[in-house]
Amino acid sequence: MSSVILRNVVKRYGQVEVVHGIDLDVDEGEFVVLLGPSGCGKTTTLRMVAGLEDISGGEMQIAGRVVNDVAPKDREIAMVFQNYALYPHMTVRRNMEFALKPQHLAADKVAERIAEASRILGLEPLLERKPSQLSGGQRQRVAMGRAMVRTPKVFLFDEPLSNLDAKLRTQVRLEIAKLHKRLGTTVLYVTHDQIEAMTLADKIVIMKDGHIEQVGSPEEVFARPRNLFVATFIGTPAMNLLPATVGGTASAPVLDADGIQLPAPAALAGKLEHGRKVTIGIRPFDIAIADDDRTGTTHAATIEVVEYLGTEVLINFRLGEHELIAQLPASSRPATGQEALHIAVDASKLHLFDTRTGLAIEP
Amino acid sequence: MSPSAREKLLVYILLAVVLMLFMTPIYLIIVSSLKPAPDMFSRPPAFIFTPTLQHYYDLFTMRPFHLQIMNSLIVAFGSTAFSLFFGTLAAYAISRIRNRWTNQIAFWILSMRMFPPIAVVVPYYIIFQTLGILDTPLALIIVYSTFNIPLTVWLMKGFFDDLPEALEEAAQIDGHGVLATFYYVTLPLTAPGLAVAAVFCFIFSWNEFLFALMLTGSNAQTVTVAVMSFWSSDAVQWGRIMAGSFVILIPGVIFVLTCQRWLVKGLTMGSVKG
Repeated sequence: MSSVILRNVVKRYGQVEVVHGIDLDVDEGEFVVLLGPSGCGKTTTLRMVAGLEDISGGEMQIAGRVVNDVAPKDREIAMVFQNYALYPHMTVRRNMEFALKPQHLAADKVAERIAEASRILGLEPLLERKPSQLSGGQRQRVAMGRAMVRTPKVFLFDEPLSNLDAKLRTQVRLEIAKLHKRLGTTVLYVTHDQIEAMTLADKIVIMKDGHIEQVGSPEEVFARPRNLFVATFIGTPAMNLLPATVGGTASAPVLDADGIQLPAPAALAGKLEHGRKVTIGIRPFDIAIADDDRTGTTHAATIEVVEYLGTEVLINFRLGEHELIAQLPASSRPATGQEALHIAVDASKLHLFDTRTGLAIEP
Repeated sequence: MSPSAREKLLVYILLAVVLMLFMTPIYLIIVSSLKPAPDMFSRPPAFIFTPTLQHYYDLFTMRPFHLQIMNSLIVAFGSTAFSLFFGTLAAYAISRIRNRWTNQIAFWILSMRMFPPIAVVVPYYIIFQTLGILDTPLALIIVYSTFNIPLTVWLMKGFFDDLPEALEEAAQIDGHGVLATFYYVTLPLTAPGLAVAAVFCFIFSWNEFLFALMLTGSNAQTVTVAVMSFWSSDAVQWGRIMAGSFVILIPGVIFVLTCQRWLVKGLTMGSVKG
């Protein structure tokens, strides 16, 4: 059963439409991440699910109930805010008690829930402190505890890690993953950080300009991006793009990128009419260094910058008119002073997009 | 950068001058209220004299000064409570409901504050006489509230505007309605603003003279008018005026000291990020 359903949901502020009729199904217990650049409508979408923003059109359901006109307090949800939104005048314990107050539970039940959440999140020593006496990571955990004690149908997270430093972010990310595994509650999570999305999500929803660009598992959106936006947004370093024209013969098409000839993936041969304008996408780690040009399938390139990252190395190089980046194991690091190298690309690893529509060309 | 000894000295001298400027009238009030009548205007001024409580005794025996204090307290606390209750709710609505009308309403409320009191005394007199509440504390509570509510609205609106909305949204998502959110989250976090508003409302109502003079008679007379009644065309009873003035000072000081903990926070809140 779907836990959250959005049907043709629209959000308008006056004349300006910011979310353009999106459809989404979140299954029970699923961890769904809304991912996209700033201003793509992901936070607005989350706030519509929370009921903090009215929806201008369409239908929204939570746990099988249409909630278009249901107040946030009656939606049985819990939310972790970007700035935590802990009540500063209440202790950690009071923060959690206050969240439980509307449920009119018996005092021992309240104490039990708080004790359970505190134990899971390690909040026991902090219960009598005020939020101002806590560090960023601790505040984040309290915010999660406050959401947890309510045993909601859906957890909403609005960029919960963006105020933490890099190290703490990794740590809290892991805690969120563990928590989801343990509780199994449906989660809708907003972020602009693709690493968070890739590591946490069962399903990623990639948004741009108020539209959903692709919905899929982390593996799907990475390996089979539906369009150029998704292809370049997911993956670090970003996918290399080369504009090209289809040439060669119908049975063995060749992609010609300003004089650089690359064989087209065999699976796509039937889709590539002669003269079609396409954009070639190459993931940086799909580029290999070839020893020399003996086989005739490698290309000579000029090294621009080499970035050493410990376990791997990023090589920025020039191939004809194009600047590309390759991601290689650190052991393949070019010698200091080396200016030229030969690269090889496996044709089956190429991604092809129609230049005019930006959509992926699929078999 | 820490100030040098000379800079510190300068600061202390300036503080001393300001303090003297403020404290001299209070010193004169206290000393004069304890001086026997013959020493009051002696030249050179009598710094050493036998203090007497005669003026205070006269104050409470020749006039029902305790009742007038009670009137003042009823009016001041009444108007303060009334203004805080309605002013705070209005400010919250103006702060949270955003459309082109709310700003118009906010300015209209502010304009009430700009009326010269003397211009509205006569209309108020006629209205209260018609309603039969002339010379009652209620009349003064109503009049003072028309001045205190705009002050409260504008002061509290600023505090509500500064409160992060996420806190109220969190409370809503936690399952609380608008009133519970306002009472448990918004109001405690804007308490410093309430303290500032309370002090200003109380002091205005306690000190007000013109309306109290025109709209009250023997029943609802407040202390400011009572003290001035010792000033007649026949004689000015300085000792009693000074004794009355000193008594008038006390409640204001107590009220401000009580609110002080919140007051400092309220007057400086928002000035420093943090």
